[in-house]
Amino acid sequence: MKLLTRSTLYFLIIMLPIFAIGAGYLFKKFDKEIRHETDEELINDKIQWMRYLDTAKVDNAVLLLKTPEFSLTPTDQPIQQKPKLNGVRIYQEPEDSYAPFRELSQVISFHGHNYLLVMRKSQIEKDDLLKNIIHVMLLAFAGLLFFAILFNFIISKKVWRPFYDTLDKIRHLQLSKTVIPQFNKTKVHEFNQLNDALNSMTTRISQDYTTMKELTEDAAHEMQTPLAIVQGKLELLLQDDTLSEEQLKAITQSSDELQRLSRLNHNLLLIAKIENQQFHFTERTDMAAVTDKYLQLFDELMAEKQITIESDIQPANWQLHPALADILVSNLLGNAIKYNMPGGSIRVTLSATTLVITNSSDYTEIPESSLFQRFKKQQVSHSASNGLGLAICKKITDAAGLNISYHFQSPFHTFTVTAIS
Amino acid sequence: MKLLIIEDEPALRTAIQQYLERQGYVCEIAADFREAINKVNEFEYDCIIADITLPFGSGLEVVKELKQMSSNAGIIIISAKDSLEDKLHGLELGADDYLTKPFHLSELNARINALLRRKNFDGNTSINFNEITIKPASKTVFINERSITLTGKEYQLLLYLIANQHRVITKSALAGHLWGDSYDQAGSYDFIYTHIKNLRKKMLEAGGEDYIKTVYGAGYRFG
Repeated sequence: MKLLTRSTLYFLIIMLPIFAIGAGYLFKKFDKEIRHETDEELINDKIQWMRYLDTAKVDNAVLLLKTPEFSLTPTDQPIQQKPKLNGVRIYQEPEDSYAPFRELSQVISFHGHNYLLVMRKSQIEKDDLLKNIIHVMLLAFAGLLFFAILFNFIISKKVWRPFYDTLDKIRHLQLSKTVIPQFNKTKVHEFNQLNDALNSMTTRISQDYTTMKELTEDAAHEMQTPLAIVQGKLELLLQDDTLSEEQLKAITQSSDELQRLSRLNHNLLLIAKIENQQFHFTERTDMAAVTDKYLQLFDELMAEKQITIESDIQPANWQLHPALADILVSNLLGNAIKYNMPGGSIRVTLSATTLVITNSSDYTEIPESSLFQRFKKQQVSHSASNGLGLAICKKITDAAGLNISYHFQSPFHTFTVTAIS
Repeated sequence: MKLLIIEDEPALRTAIQQYLERQGYVCEIAADFREAINKVNEFEYDCIIADITLPFGSGLEVVKELKQMSSNAGIIIISAKDSLEDKLHGLELGADDYLTKPFHLSELNARINALLRRKNFDGNTSINFNEITIKPASKTVFINERSITLTGKEYQLLLYLIANQHRVITKSALAGHLWGDSYDQAGSYDFIYTHIKNLRKKMLEAGGEDYIKTVYGAGYRFG
């Protein structure tokens, strides 16, 4: 539920009893006013009647009047100085219901006899009043509802706009971009506070990120340079004609191990770079071209091991950095060859959204717990393996929003990469 | 052929210098940015090998300077940084090649060789080694003027061996040259042997001498 919808709902829920109380209060107020008016009229009428009766004769026809509005009845009660006023309900024949009336009663003296004077005025408007008030209140409430929704819409468009702008910026924040978005000043204090906090946060994160990135690069530099020196020296040493076969072997092995160290370093840095999101994933790569390229490149390796290759490559254009696409495909295909058995088989299927590489192997199923873990080599360690290949594949797919899964059905290992569109 | 090696690590610098001098190049060295700038302004070089991270400046600035002088020298950047941006940036500035540390000296030598050939003769020259003649423009190989048919990999292998003639070349250097970054996926260098065997056989059949010597425990040597 949107914040604004929620607050509007609360507002309306609170408004409902307020309107009810308001309606009741209004009714009471109007009712009192009307009663007061009616009473004044009744008193006024009584005064008129009294004046008339003062001049009337004993056998005046007025004494015979018996209507709900006016009656004069002989009584034994003592004379009253002041009239009594109260509300009564009187049966109305045409409507077959009781209607509210104000009644004035007073015992007066007329030609030496006491009479009870009763005067009444209909208050049928009172019922109408209640109806009207409820009507007006309902109408006001409907109006309020309508305007609340309207304002909700307008406010969310206008007042909340800076908020949504900020939200949008955060969503699209890419630390690897050199330009970090600035959250601009708005007219709203709270949004300014939010934007200020975000500004200082993104600046700090961006600085940390840059430091980390530089560290990654520097570490590579610092480690690769000594490696390069040793590599060069060993290669020069190899040129010495006086060396024995054993010595040559030792030098070559050292050189090979050095390269393994260098690749390990390189791969660890690659993982760090992917984790730091230093690769942009907006670029698209023709996966068919990449797959074809590595099938060709590894052609001889497969021939060497007498591996039969079966491939079905359909056009596929994935949102994946070209360098990472290369690494992903070469790692998976390289593994399929490396862990294959002589005379085994590999099947590569690429469709618009999936890349499936299946290979036969003597190796048993890879336990799920160590599948994509770093340095978790599968069973007997392979000398050329550094235990990072699948970990890198996993990092790449995670970072690029792809999905990688593994399936084993003896003796076939299958890796499936799916581009979730 | 005169080369300038711009590298601040003395040990690496001398290793490169020694290897290249043995291949017949005249090598000068520069240990930092200022020395490099002075030397490129004063002397003509056929090829410049430049590290990016240098004291007092960047190797990329040297590349810029060379381009401003419209120097004809070939430029190979050697750097420990293998970030794609650096590589692209270097090539954009006008470098001809980019090699990531650590590299095989034989690989650097082969790259210099190919670069100089491209630069100086537009590739329209032949490489000769006794009875072997290679025409890079048409990628054809002749033994005693008789053409032999080589696969792409065998051709690359032969060029690499001739460029590094009389030197011991490890299998991993050959594998790296032929398959680039992905050669470590292979798991073994056995397949190198197949290529060497085929190349040797084809050359022998055409009446050539057997120049490819197996150096036991290490690799191969040509000539």
